[in-house]
Amino acid sequence: MAADINSGIKDLDSLLQGYQPGDNIVWQIDNLDDYAFFAEKFAGEALDKKKQCIYFRFASHPRILPDQPGITTVNIDPAPGFDFFSSEVHNIIRDCDRDASLIFDNLSSLVTTWATDELLANFFMVTCPYIFELGPVAYFALTRGKHLHTAVARIRDTTQILIDVFHVKNSMYIHPIKVWKRYSSQMFLPHLVSETGWEPVSISGEAAVLSSTALKQPLGTSVASGAPWEVIFDRLQKYRNIEQQPGAYTPEIASLKHELIRMMIGDHPSFNKLADEYFTIDDLINARNRLIGSGRIGGKAAGMLLSRRILLADKGPIDFAKVLEAHDSFYIGSDVFFTFLVKNDLFQLRMQLTRDSSMSHEEFEQVERRFLAGEFPPEIMSQFRDMLDYFGQAPIIVRSSSLLEDRFGNAFAGKYRSEFCANQGGPEQRMNAFLQAVKLVYASAINPDALSYRHKQGLGENDEQMAILVQRVSGMPYKQFFFPPLAGVAFSRNLYAWTNRIDPNRGMIRLVFGLGTHAVNRVGGDYTRIVAVSDPQLRPEAGTKIIKYSQHNVDVLDLSADDFRSETVAELLVDCDYPNLNLVTSLVTDGYPQEMIRSCPQGRSDDLVLTFNNFINRTPFIKIMDDMLKRLEAAYGQPVDTEFTAHIDPEGGVKINLLQCRSLRLPGTAGRVEFPEHISDEQILFTSNRFISGGALHNIRYILYIDPDKYAGIESIDVKKSIGRTVGRINRHPSVIEGGIIMMGPGRWGSSNINLGVNVGYSDIDSTSVLVEMAREERGHVPEVSYGTHFFQDLVESGIMYLPVYPSDPESKFNESFFESAPNVLPDIMPELAESSSLIHLIDVRQKSNGLYAHILADPTVHRAICFLDITCA
Amino acid sequence: MSQINPFEIVRKQVDKCARILKLDPDVTEVLKNPMRELHLSLPVRMDNGSTKLFKGYRVQYNDAKGPTKGGIRFHPDETIDTVRALAAWMTWKCALLDLPLGGGKGGIICNPKELSEGELERLSRAYARAVYQFIGPERDVPAPDVYTTPQIMAWIMDEYSAIAGKSQFGVITGKPLALGGSKGRGDATAKGGMYCIREAAKKLKIDLSKATIAVQGYGNAGYYAAKLAKEMFGSKIVAVCDSQGGCFCKSGIDADEAQKIKTKTTSVCNLKTGDKIDSEEILELDVDILIPSAMENVITEKNAPKIKAKIIAELANGPCTPEADDILYKKGVHVIPDFLCNAGGVTVSYFEMVQNFNMYYWTEAEVYERLDTKMTTAYHSVWDTHKDYKINMRQAAYVRAVERVVEAMRLRGWV
Repeated sequence: MAADINSGIKDLDSLLQGYQPGDNIVWQIDNLDDYAFFAEKFAGEALDKKKQCIYFRFASHPRILPDQPGITTVNIDPAPGFDFFSSEVHNIIRDCDRDASLIFDNLSSLVTTWATDELLANFFMVTCPYIFELGPVAYFALTRGKHLHTAVARIRDTTQILIDVFHVKNSMYIHPIKVWKRYSSQMFLPHLVSETGWEPVSISGEAAVLSSTALKQPLGTSVASGAPWEVIFDRLQKYRNIEQQPGAYTPEIASLKHELIRMMIGDHPSFNKLADEYFTIDDLINARNRLIGSGRIGGKAAGMLLSRRILLADKGPIDFAKVLEAHDSFYIGSDVFFTFLVKNDLFQLRMQLTRDSSMSHEEFEQVERRFLAGEFPPEIMSQFRDMLDYFGQAPIIVRSSSLLEDRFGNAFAGKYRSEFCANQGGPEQRMNAFLQAVKLVYASAINPDALSYRHKQGLGENDEQMAILVQRVSGMPYKQFFFPPLAGVAFSRNLYAWTNRIDPNRGMIRLVFGLGTHAVNRVGGDYTRIVAVSDPQLRPEAGTKIIKYSQHNVDVLDLSADDFRSETVAELLVDCDYPNLNLVTSLVTDGYPQEMIRSCPQGRSDDLVLTFNNFINRTPFIKIMDDMLKRLEAAYGQPVDTEFTAHIDPEGGVKINLLQCRSLRLPGTAGRVEFPEHISDEQILFTSNRFISGGALHNIRYILYIDPDKYAGIESIDVKKSIGRTVGRINRHPSVIEGGIIMMGPGRWGSSNINLGVNVGYSDIDSTSVLVEMAREERGHVPEVSYGTHFFQDLVESGIMYLPVYPSDPESKFNESFFESAPNVLPDIMPELAESSSLIHLIDVRQKSNGLYAHILADPTVHRAICFLDITCA
Repeated sequence: MSQINPFEIVRKQVDKCARILKLDPDVTEVLKNPMRELHLSLPVRMDNGSTKLFKGYRVQYNDAKGPTKGGIRFHPDETIDTVRALAAWMTWKCALLDLPLGGGKGGIICNPKELSEGELERLSRAYARAVYQFIGPERDVPAPDVYTTPQIMAWIMDEYSAIAGKSQFGVITGKPLALGGSKGRGDATAKGGMYCIREAAKKLKIDLSKATIAVQGYGNAGYYAAKLAKEMFGSKIVAVCDSQGGCFCKSGIDADEAQKIKTKTTSVCNLKTGDKIDSEEILELDVDILIPSAMENVITEKNAPKIKAKIIAELANGPCTPEADDILYKKGVHVIPDFLCNAGGVTVSYFEMVQNFNMYYWTEAEVYERLDTKMTTAYHSVWDTHKDYKINMRQAAYVRAVERVVEAMRLRGWV
């Protein structure tokens, strides 16, 4: 059946799986020649097969098909009107062969005669079903951007096949938007039309450039209104092309721009100052053209746009115009969030929950179900459809971009959801998956963790609106999977200086193979490559440990299962044919990872280790990241935290896709810490001046102290082992969890060699705010503490502050008398552990110091940390 | 934190052997001291243009039986006494296997985590230049050890060869296979341990095809031990564990499956089959053979009385404390001591030297066959000594080794 009806172009038939009887094919074009190209092939096929071919000629444009034997040209004058014209067309269709090929002039010309898009759409809506009913196959064309969105939407809804045709850089591409009742995994991707075979454009960077170049206004807009938003937008449109340098705008333009920034981004003075400085009118209009609904685009989207603009605007060693991958993100305006809440009767619920954050996770699941049952208004659904048509089957990620998120001072890291859409299946399936993702992100605005975070940050009553950033997932297909070769997070300061060679004022990168979720999330038992930008060749492991502490699992999108999953490196790379494998992996040879100077031998995937050595050492990646982090920090005026993906182009160049940028001011990180001027010696419990993680922690009630000398004096291995278990039990005690605890003991904690430190696992210390490793100098040698161990990495990743204290260092202070004189409350709090109290000293700081608490301030940039007693601090 | 000086332990061990062998105090004194030590200062150009001075050592403890042999350690906590102690232990280990080698050790005080690849190479080459006059295929042959890799061995060999003006593969062992390394090195330690277990089973009349085995620790050695025990003897691996815990399965555990799970999830405790156990419970299981292959001091005076295994094969270094050793000996548990059980590695290192000398390289099967002969002979010599002197296997191994070194010294006319 289907195989009998061909387009005359083998690649097109293969892509669309042939035509079916009654198919109407609408070509959305920019110029008539493109339509003529496809129509001529289709007519030629009909002539070859000796089928009836009818050309409906009604437009003033040149003929689409040549006047030749076998092609019946029917001239119909549209001037008498819609009714007459439609009837004439129907009469001809009624009388034609059931397998005829029907080719129409460009439908857009009808508007010239009828002066309305409405009648054009009506004509199509009566003609298309008739053709479908009778069985011929028909070709139509529409000129892109000439018609009301509503008219095009009606045509789209009625036709069986809708195909976009466009040109970028002298090449023709087609992008099937709708193909009724047919599906393949690549059908809805843009394809490069070439004589040597049509190639799907599936690499994210190329697809973004292509689609954003071809489709400047991908979203249908609603009817113009007189709202201030639209007024300002329209006024700025006039100035779009006159001047691109933000600093050179006239006061009037600058004021309009400032107002639009305020409307699109918000009212944060520091951020808006940067936005004023860097955003061009063009940037704002481009963002507006990709905004679904109205309202603000949220912190994450704003941070992404701003950071990209900073890199493109400022001069530095790297030309980011050549390095940054294009993005073609969409934004769901924050007003849509409110519309959704109001329309679905969720507004009151949100207000109530925002005031009271005591909802359980189970209760939240019920709330989530109510969100999932919600619906969007038709005009938003229409824009969603436009956006999904634009992306086709390219995987997308739906990311929260709330107004408070990712802005100066409030990170909300991981508090709101991000949802991947593998974006596979037909348009309906893709739409359903997308809607579910949006609703889940909306629901996450009131999830218990986020509400609790907001309350802790004093933001409980603040206006929190959930905008959404929809990004193309960066990557390329490999087998049935889709993922970027490299992704990660990069900080402009190094939180993880495992040796004093590393400059903490330079950046740190956590690099992964595959989706960046593996770098962002805490991955139990698996590891990322940590790169110190100042010394990229150093790594916290050496020898065979490199194999153990490497990334073993890769996060990918499984396109065949339309799902997100993790694959082991060995299974994913079993064929050893992934591009540039020698840049990201080393091959275990003679028991150690070795760099590959050629492709990986077949059958050795079990021996591949993700070291990224060649990528770090032999590509400009580190130079790019170094410059990127420096420039962003300089522009932001404070340390930054970014998310990125990276690609290696065929020439070995590196492209970076900057996905997110926010200021880095998390507790326990490298932000600047203000030390009080006057702390008396009596107040000081200890100081540290070596490599430390940073931050400020206040109001800690308990200190668990294991005296290094007493520990060293324990002869029995069993007794030493029991200390670790006891520490774990104290760690889990509710009073300790509530009051906060500092754990201090001989380094290295967590070492496999019990003589080197307290034998604990991560779960034995995960309630502690601060872990202090005490190292006593002996015979001129200071034992190494936990820098660089996976245990230390666990601490870094879980936000536990780590401080090495050297009591014998003359430049450090250690208040021995405090620790010696403090009563041991262990038998009181946990009588069952009383027998351990000779070795484990649990100090109730408040009790010992008449109501004072322990506070810790640590600033790694100046290598200074202090723990002191003081009253409670808000 | 005070720590026991390892060299003091060596000296006490020598004293103990001397008492058993009734050695002359002058002989004992020779055995208690290294013959030669080289203390090095190694200036290395760092990536940032500065020059950093590293301290290094090479100790040739005793070369009565032949050129000294022993690894090079790159470690921040390196001390001369540690190097001395390890050089002494290499002397006894080589003697126990009756290799024509003495014992040595070297080290550089450095932290490889703080060195770039280029700096590591320059440091390795600086070491090779500094010890050039001191080492050599017929003098002292280093090998990989803590934080030193086949690549580092290749650099040292290359630097040495460049100074010598000719290829000198035999100057160092543990080289990459493509550059004069020996086949069979990857599982040499486990394989050597298996040969010992086989011989012990014969002595104790244990049918290995029906034996049950627990493997504590699932790194390289543990995995190969589990795999080889099944392949070579048909034994059943009923329990495996690592630092995160393990699994007990009466019907048997597939070594490769366990390895896959460990790679995928970082621990064998995630195996789907059998019951979960912790890394201490595994030691007390009712099995025929227990193979500790990971950590030191896991068998102590506390759990030694509860050990039910008939054989403990120490693939790891020092899994039993001295107190536990005594308890196990009295209980009749047969302990194959670490420096016999895990001597497969040094033996294949010696084979690498031999192959380098002959410029002819053996097949894997040839390596295993020769390893079998060496390990089997060594096992029986320890067994005999343990019977002759009525001492435990560990002490017997020391006694046998020291006896051989003393014999060589006597023949050379040193004592």
